[in-house]
Formats: sequence, structure tokens, C-alpha cells
Amino acid sequence: MVRGLEDRLFNTIIYIILGLVGIVCAFPLLYVLSVSVTPYGEVLKHGGYIVIPRSISFEAYKKLFAGNDMVQTFGVTIFITVVGTFVNMVLTTLMAYPLSRKNLPGRSFFLMLIVFTILFSGGIIPTYLVVRNTGLIDTVWAMIIPNAIGAFNLLIMKSFFENLPSELFDSARIDGAKELRILWQIVIPLSMPVLLTVGLFYTVGHWNEFFQAIMYVTNTDLHPMQVVIRNILMQSQNPELMLDEFVPTTTLQMAAVIVASVPVIVIYPFIQKHFTKGVTLGAIKG
Amino acid sequence: MKKKYFNRFVILLLISLMTVGCTPKESSNTPAKNNKETGQENNNTPMEIEIAQTGAGFPDPDPIKDAIDKALNIKIKINALASADDYFNQLNVRLSGGNYPDIILTQDRQRMAEYGRKGMLLDLTPYINQLQPAIDFVGEDNFKKGNIDGKQYGIPRIPDVPFNTWWVRKDWLDNLGLEVPTSLDEITNVAKAFTFNDPDQNGKKDTYAITGGGIGAFTGIFSAYGVGAPGQFYVKDGKVINSLKDPAMKDALAKIKGLISDGVVDPELIANTARQHIDKLYQGQYGLVYFPWTEIAKVESQEQIKMVNPDAEWIQIKAPTGPGGNLDGWYDVATVSRMWSLPKSLENQPEKLKKIFELFNYVSEREGNLLVMYGEEGKNYKMEGDKVVITDPKGVEHSHYYQMTGRPNAEYLATKFGYAQKEIDFAIEQPRVEVYNSLITLPDGYVASDADRYINEEIIKFIYGNRPLDEYDAFIETLENTFNYKIYLDSATEQIEEFIKQ
Repeated sequence: MVRGLEDRLFNTIIYIILGLVGIVCAFPLLYVLSVSVTPYGEVLKHGGYIVIPRSISFEAYKKLFAGNDMVQTFGVTIFITVVGTFVNMVLTTLMAYPLSRKNLPGRSFFLMLIVFTILFSGGIIPTYLVVRNTGLIDTVWAMIIPNAIGAFNLLIMKSFFENLPSELFDSARIDGAKELRILWQIVIPLSMPVLLTVGLFYTVGHWNEFFQAIMYVTNTDLHPMQVVIRNILMQSQNPELMLDEFVPTTTLQMAAVIVASVPVIVIYPFIQKHFTKGVTLGAIKG
Repeated sequence: MKKKYFNRFVILLLISLMTVGCTPKESSNTPAKNNKETGQENNNTPMEIEIAQTGAGFPDPDPIKDAIDKALNIKIKINALASADDYFNQLNVRLSGGNYPDIILTQDRQRMAEYGRKGMLLDLTPYINQLQPAIDFVGEDNFKKGNIDGKQYGIPRIPDVPFNTWWVRKDWLDNLGLEVPTSLDEITNVAKAFTFNDPDQNGKKDTYAITGGGIGAFTGIFSAYGVGAPGQFYVKDGKVINSLKDPAMKDALAKIKGLISDGVVDPELIANTARQHIDKLYQGQYGLVYFPWTEIAKVESQEQIKMVNPDAEWIQIKAPTGPGGNLDGWYDVATVSRMWSLPKSLENQPEKLKKIFELFNYVSEREGNLLVMYGEEGKNYKMEGDKVVITDPKGVEHSHYYQMTGRPNAEYLATKFGYAQKEIDFAIEQPRVEVYNSLITLPDGYVASDADRYINEEIIKFIYGNRPLDEYDAFIETLENTFNYKIYLDSATEQIEEFIKQ
């Protein structure tokens, strides 16, 4: 293949554009990271614009983790994320698989119900009443069970399962496998891309858990990290506190943002390769 | 054949599972979260009391809470969210769902009226004699602020004293050889000098005069014309008037417009959010502002200011004399710092109700009040004769959340911020425009957010020259007709006149 001048020019332009877009995306993150390790006085001296930190200090992080509540809330968030995602995946898979089998009696009826919930929802107060009457209020499970199966994610998984060649299932059935065994030993190993994708959606959703926590959980011990961080950031808005309390500085706020978002950013690259595989999987029928 | 029946059985099972949720509610109807029944109790188990409020930063363990719990044999549970929006969202859902906290922060009269008129709050009128210490502490004048439609729905917290005044960079004045400005014209001159004559002498034109959090930056200018901020109600010439309808408002707006077009104001003024304007102040680019002393004179603030520039020196100045006199900003005389309400469901829980009254009385009487103001005697403070001296302020910075009925401001500020006594007293002494906005409950059919947004937008247009000031009357007319402001004006005037007569 001869690379002509046109091709090289084209490639260069693409690289430049992508490079610029990459910088624009990364810059805010770099800024937040830099401000979070720069002492507040330094930040002020340079008018709030620090891209490369001149002096590093982890004071803000130390202050953040000083109180017991940060550790506690970290634990709560990890619990919701791990256990929650597990519950999500089990339930969603168990529901998506039967719905993907075309010979399920009443299939279209259930599918219609599910789509119905995407379009219409009960509203905040009725949902609250349901959660309350099932006794979930003020427990950690209020953030896991009410949204255990996301209708959208369910449909994604269902369509993926539908695309698996049915010859596989027929041959498995001939060999005497029951449905659960087919699910566990054939469908799931083949579905890694979609499982990871949907799993990641749920994980990020749980990590960012905020609204559910505010609505259903009044016990501050059980608040997940996003609520606590919002409390820290919003303290500066409260006029009473002008008088008495220590008001969080820009540095502290940025540190809080980093603590909230870094774990997810760190996990992303490991899972990313499965996305790209998943995108092309359905495209080429082998 | 068997498979067919099996399928049908499964479908039937699934459908019946879905309808299980439709059973009639046989669970208990009492909304109370506590698992105790009302009536005779084992008198030694501490009564659980849940307080819902805005706030954050409660330490664990909490020495003040533990001390109160021990003194009253109760177990306080605080449910607090820092953001008022989040808190009220949660509160609305809870109250609609029947999940009432034991003590509710309703914060302002409007909300208290809303919940009260829906029958959610307990009318305290029959229990007034049980709350006498609290009433004596806040004073009758303040206590009646919790009364609406003849019912006592709220227990108010003593209002704060004013904090805001004009501040100017003394070192900049000295560098430029200027005197402290005392009139509006001098303010303009000083502002221009600060912007164009390089007061920090660093060779760069990087300074301005005025900044703030939006239109609030001009509070001191409005008051120099004798008007309150846009939308506030006060008494002028014996009548209740809204600042927007005050003829002096146009003059004030013209003055502000002049300042902006002179270039002496922060170009990003309207975009300042949260604490940005305070950060800008610390950075040292502004020299003539209207701020509370808490952001400048407190030890922590001074640290930040000196860190950037050790020579920076801020002083308070009296309000400049303007056509309206020399009033220094505004102060809401009908406000309270917090408003607490009790849910109606407590009617059926006389034991808990009694404990709640004890709590309010305890923090109002001297011993409990000292605890929630300063912490534990011997550990956080000590008494020298009659005077309180703070020995260790750490660990009890959150004490103000437990000052349910408030604190005697003069003593409190003197003890905690004695080093800033001059600034504190100065702020308290200044004459201000006395406004009544906290008093007002909105009339039916009036949507405040629309009108407020329109007012804000149009005022910004006027002061930035995007709309000529001679269209001001047209603006008022649109406001009164399209946005129903007239209804609001009439209702508010009536409520304020009634309040003043009392």
C-alpha cells in the first residue's frame, strides 16, 4: 500500500484534531487535580489559574479524611457499589435471558410492561410511599433494591442475547442441558462484552448515587460519598456558617471532587477493551 | 401436553405475584418512625428525638450532643443536609409520605405557613405555658414571628445582628494619597483611582474597585439613596413601600449604571457564584466593597488576605452620604435566624412532646445555653467571674446548630471574636434601611420565582445599559400586570401594616 501525500496529510490533520480534543477533555481534570494539591494561598496568588502546581501539599486530602465520616461514607459507597452491582447483574441477567427466548409465553406482554415503565413512572411521592411501606426507608438497601433492574439496561442485554445463534441452544438442549445450565455455561461466557458494559453502567450509577440517598435515607451514617461531598461543597453557601465555622476553600473543594471521581476513572481503562470488542461483535456474522 | 400446563401455571404464578402488592394496607397507620408505642413508658430509656435541619460538619463523637442527651435523658438524632435545596426536597417528600421528624426546621414564614395551613404542623398555643423559658429567652417580639393566622406554628431563633458594612483598602488610599470617601461623589472618585491609578503599585492595570455576589455588591449604593435592594419592602414617609416603586430607585440605578460604565466594577460581577467574589477579595484586586466583617476581620480571613499580600489593610468606613441620607445597606427587622416547627402527629405523643419542650427550655436557660454556645466548662471555656473565656475552641465549632433558640449575640460575639470587637460593634451601630420581607407569605395565584427572575434580569439590563432607564415605568407595568406583582404588593403591604400595628 503506497502512502501518498494525501494520506499523510489526512492523517496529520486527524491527529491534530484528535489531539486538540484530547487536551480540551483532559484540561479540566488536570486543573482540578492541580488546584487540589496546591495550598489555598498559592491558588489565590495566581488568580485561581494553576495548571502545573508549583508547590504540592496534601493538606486538603488530610483534612477531608480527618473526620470519621469520610471513611464511613467510603465504606457505604463501596458496599452499595459492589453488592448493588452484583444484585443488579444477577437480576437483570435472569430477567433478560427468558425475555430473549422467542418462545416464552406472554413475552410481548411483559416486554410491553417494561417499555411502559421507561415512558411513565409513578412520580416521587408514590415511589416514596412504596419504598416506605416495604420498610426500606433509612436502610442501605433503599439505594439498591428500588432500582435493581434498569429497564434500559435490561433491553440492551435482551437484544444481545437475542443475537446469539440459536443453534447453540438447540444443540445444548439436545445434549440434555436445562435452561439454567445453558444460561450459566453458554450464554454468560459468550456475553462478556454486554455484561461488562451493563455492569459498568450500574457501577457508575451506584457510585454517583445521590438522589436516592437524599430521598430515602435520613440517617447520615448511611449517606454515600456523593451526598457527603455535596455537603462539604455546599457548606460555603450557608450564611450562618459565615460566622462560626471553617468554610471549605477552593483547594478543599477540588480535593473532594477528585476523591469522588478518581476511582471510576481508574477502573475505566481496564474495562475499555471489552467495549470495543462488544461494539463490533454483532457486526460480523462468522 | 405436560409442558402446556406447566407454561400456563408459570404465567398464572407471575400474574399473581404482580397482584400481591394490591393487598389492603393492614400495617400500622402511625407515621412515627420510632418503634415505641405511646403511653406509659419505661421511664429510664432515653427518648429518641429526631431533628431535621440544614447543616453539616457534625463531629463523631459529638460532645455537645452527648452532654444534652445526658442532661435530659434523651437521645438526639440529627438529620442534616448542607444544601437548603436538598434539605427541603427531602423534607417535602418526607412530609407527604407521612414520615415526620420530631423537630422540623421550617426556616422561614412562607414555608411554615404552607405546612401549617395544610395541617401538618402542631399549633403550640395550648402549650405556651410549657415553653415559658424559651419565650422569655427569645423575647415576645421575636416569638410572635412564629405566629400565623392566630396559630403559633413556629419557635423562632434569635435573629443575627447585622454584619455588613463598606470596606476599603487603607493601604491603597495611602499609596494614592486619598482620603476616606464620605459622599457618593467621593466614592466614585476613589473607585476610579483604584481602577486606573495602579494603587497596588505593581505597574500593571489589574485592579478594580467594586465586586460582590451579583447585584448585592451595590447594596451600599441603593441605601445611599434610601432604597432597599430591588423587591424589598420598607416604610417611607409613614407608608409601606416596595423599593421598585420608590421614585429614588431610578436615581440609584442610574448611579450604578454610571459606576459600571466607568469601568470600576468587576466585569464578571453577575457571573460570580458561591464564594468567588470572596476569593477575588483575598486575591487583592478589589479595594472598595460592601462585605460582612466575617469575611474580612476574622482570624482565618486575615490569614488568607495576608498570605497573598502582607501589606493589605482593610478598614471599615461609614456609609457615604447620598440623597437618601447615609443609611448603611438594609436589615430585615422581621427575620429570625431559624424557625422550628413540630409535626401535628406529636399531639398523640405527650411524653415526647414534653421532652421536646424540655430541650427548647434547656438550651434557653443559662446552663444549657452556655453549653451550646461555648462547649463544656473546664474543657472548652472557663468562667472568670462573670465573664466567659474560651480556652479550647476545637471540637465544638458546630455548637451553633444546637443553639435552637439562639444566643445573646452581644455576649457571644464578644467572647468568640473579641479581637474584632471594634468591627462587630461598628456593624451593629450603623443605621440601615429597615425591611420587612421575612414577614410576607405569598398570596394565592402568585408565582414568586417568575417575577423574581424577571426583576433580576431587567435590573441587570438597566444597569448594564442594555435597556434605557426611561423604560423603567414600562418595566414596572409589565411586572404588575403580566407577572401579577400587583397582587403580591397589595398582600404584602397589608401583612406588613398589620405586623407594625401589633
